[in-house]
Amino acid sequence: MEQTKTLKKKRGLLFYISIYRKILIQDLKSKMSYRADFIISNFGMIISNMSGFVTFMILFHNFPSINGWNYYHMLFLYGFSLIALTPVQCFFDNNWNLRFMVRSGDFIRYCFRPINVFFYFISEVFDVKGLGQFAFGLGTFIYAWCHLGIPVTIVTVSQAVIFLLTASLFMIAIMNAAAATCFWIINSGYVMVIMNRFRDFAKYPASIYNKVFKFIFSFIIPIAFVAYYPSLVFITPDNVPLLTWLSPLIGAFFFYLSYKFWMLGVRRYDFTGS
Amino acid sequence: MNSIKRLTALTRAGVMESLQFRLGTVVTLFGNLIYLALVYFLWKAIYDSCGSSVVNGMTFYDTMIYLILATAIFNFLEMFIIWDMSRSIQSGEIILHLLKPMKYRLYTFWSYSGTHLISFFLTFLPTFIVVMIITKGAIPLGWNFLFFVISLTMALIINFNIDMLVAPICLYTESTWGINMVKETIVLLLSGATIPLAFFPDSIRRVVEYMPFRAVYDMPLTILLNKDGANTMNGLLSMLGTQLIWCIVLTIAGNLFWNHAVKRITVNGG
Amino acid sequence: MANEVVVMKNVSKEFKVLNRHEGLKGSFQDLFSRDYKIVKAVNDVSLTVEKGEIIGYLGPNGAGKSTTIKMMTGVLEPSSGEIEVNGMVPYKDRTRNSENMGVVFGQRSQLWWNLPLIESFKLLRDIYMVPEKDYKDMLELYKSLVDIEPIIHKPVRQMSLGQRTLSDILAAFLHNPGIVFLDEPTIGLDVSMKAKIRELIKGLNEVKKTTVILTTHDMGDVDALCKRIIIIDEGKKIYDNDIDHLKNYFGSYRTLRMRLEDGTWEEQVIDEKKTDVMHVIQETQKSHKIKDIQLEEISTEEVIRKIYEGSKAYE
Repeated sequence: MEQTKTLKKKRGLLFYISIYRKILIQDLKSKMSYRADFIISNFGMIISNMSGFVTFMILFHNFPSINGWNYYHMLFLYGFSLIALTPVQCFFDNNWNLRFMVRSGDFIRYCFRPINVFFYFISEVFDVKGLGQFAFGLGTFIYAWCHLGIPVTIVTVSQAVIFLLTASLFMIAIMNAAAATCFWIINSGYVMVIMNRFRDFAKYPASIYNKVFKFIFSFIIPIAFVAYYPSLVFITPDNVPLLTWLSPLIGAFFFYLSYKFWMLGVRRYDFTGS
Repeated sequence: MNSIKRLTALTRAGVMESLQFRLGTVVTLFGNLIYLALVYFLWKAIYDSCGSSVVNGMTFYDTMIYLILATAIFNFLEMFIIWDMSRSIQSGEIILHLLKPMKYRLYTFWSYSGTHLISFFLTFLPTFIVVMIITKGAIPLGWNFLFFVISLTMALIINFNIDMLVAPICLYTESTWGINMVKETIVLLLSGATIPLAFFPDSIRRVVEYMPFRAVYDMPLTILLNKDGANTMNGLLSMLGTQLIWCIVLTIAGNLFWNHAVKRITVNGG
Repeated sequence: MANEVVVMKNVSKEFKVLNRHEGLKGSFQDLFSRDYKIVKAVNDVSLTVEKGEIIGYLGPNGAGKSTTIKMMTGVLEPSSGEIEVNGMVPYKDRTRNSENMGVVFGQRSQLWWNLPLIESFKLLRDIYMVPEKDYKDMLELYKSLVDIEPIIHKPVRQMSLGQRTLSDILAAFLHNPGIVFLDEPTIGLDVSMKAKIRELIKGLNEVKKTTVILTTHDMGDVDALCKRIIIIDEGKKIYDNDIDHLKNYFGSYRTLRMRLEDGTWEEQVIDEKKTDVMHVIQETQKSHKIKDIQLEEISTEEVIRKIYEGSKAYE
């Protein structure tokens, strides 16, 4: 067999999707072989979601409305945010391991294959317990939807799907950027924990903030786009701000920025971990 | 006194290590401040929409200060014990520690103590100062601060023991995240850190008051803020006393459970 | 020069390292310090590697071996100088370069931890877009060189170190790369495993004409596999030539071993150009009775050590 001169082999979207599927299946297989951990993790997720519910209930036990948003409005927002937070939980979970792999030097193994490093790293882990969160979110969302009397038409349903997907891009971007800080600072774990805590605030309407903070939470740490802006399409359909319609574009942009930042970290890192 | 020397050496090492994380400390502080903003706005909106300025004995300022300081305390108490231990067990490193002449539990506690000291001064205090500025001095400063520090130290011990009780469970079940999540969720919710205990419906609150979690967040905060229950000498002493009891109970329980777990680790050979 | 697989010209790599201070006070200072020092890990190294060669890349720890390899594999960018691997600049063309390259780091497996080896192979086949026929032929070749039955269905996490290393090497060659980098592949392995791995590498190099760059501390690897070695110390290249040349260079050196009356062996390295062997024996006989004598060629290891010392002597 002759060694052929290297031609750039085309690796398009289909290639990446097929590789991802294969890696994913293997990850799931191996996760499920750790039975106890699998069950307990899912249980933990359910407990965490239930606690969120309890907190919510206690809050509304004492305060019937926030800024004109009543119980069902808030429930809608809550459900919406849970669904929008599922993709980052399920698909981008490996970001939590980044700092350890970078520090130990093990990260270098992602740099020797002819596939995109970010893709390779992220594709290794799929977090099944995120599906529990999805179930909670979906249930809440549908419940609130019905109680708010939102019509079910092709338009509204496709809007729901599109806006849910674009909303998810924002949290993904935030976590990508937070994880990538590990290429520059040592204690990046705290960054991630903080960002993770901010996600709890995605379920509150951004109308509570003053101008300055509204800006911060819209454009710097864009949690307002995770649930608030997209939800307005359904809650105040007669008065939807421009930002909401622009959110798919903004989401894609943020995601792109976070990806570039992540890759910048890979390039600038010295790999002296050993 | 050899052991005191050893303990201070550990604390010193922990402090030095903490200082290496310069940017990290700044980040935590920054994060606390942003969280402060979030809490401020949220609860302002909540109180504004509700029409009365006092709900269940808590004013807006009360709630806000309470929650922000709860987070500051959370950062302060946070020790990645469970994670570090799991990793240590997985890699087999733990055997090295168990072989060292010092008792592992003690060793763990003191090696984190350096981090705690730094954390207290570099994140908790600045956050506290900012809160004071924003609320224009709504937190009374006096003897209560001293008692607060005592209370906080006990809270630290209690939290440490809770973590040390949970960590071996992770060992038994070989599952870290799930157990940790359950622990954290329960502790944060039932200690009043997610939402002040004052807001809990009466029936639930009475049950929760019998659990040790209250001693980790709610009690130190009540003492600091001189709220009901801590503003009389009687009340104060009974709170500190309850904390002390929990300290002792959990330390003993932790010890027993730990010794049992160590046997299992050594039997399995890491 | 179509035959040159790797060309390095005056390559250097510098790192910025924070000057750390001692003690508690020092740690406080470090919080605010901007005091860095520049460390030159690789210092003006030039070399060429031709197709099909197996090169031993040697040097003491911290000499800059790993850094050079990382630059050749495109993971690090040189601070100055040029590198070309297979006609491409590795750092600029990372993906394309990776197509034609295999890497094994002695202690870090690149395989999927929980997957049986054959599943890893299949994934790699897909990632590198290896044609099915080539893939099957390669597996056949593997079967003829080593016994892969015991490991082919094992997940990597259940393998012994030796099996893992073997798997990593097989994985590195799977897509028939033009060049393979092996970083300390035999570290921590027992003697029989080392022999198996050396045979595998040799076999693959012979059949596939793969260029191999091997970093190692083990002279056994060098003796078994390399015709040419490059020695690097403190970032500088201090030797670049064939192994035979090495022997010639130090051809006058002998290891003299004498068994004394109490059963112990005394060893001395003698440069016959300077010292007379007989003289040494006679001197020793003045204080001991000699039961047995062995006069041997100097070992490769000794030679290398002399070169390290030699390079230091010139500083």
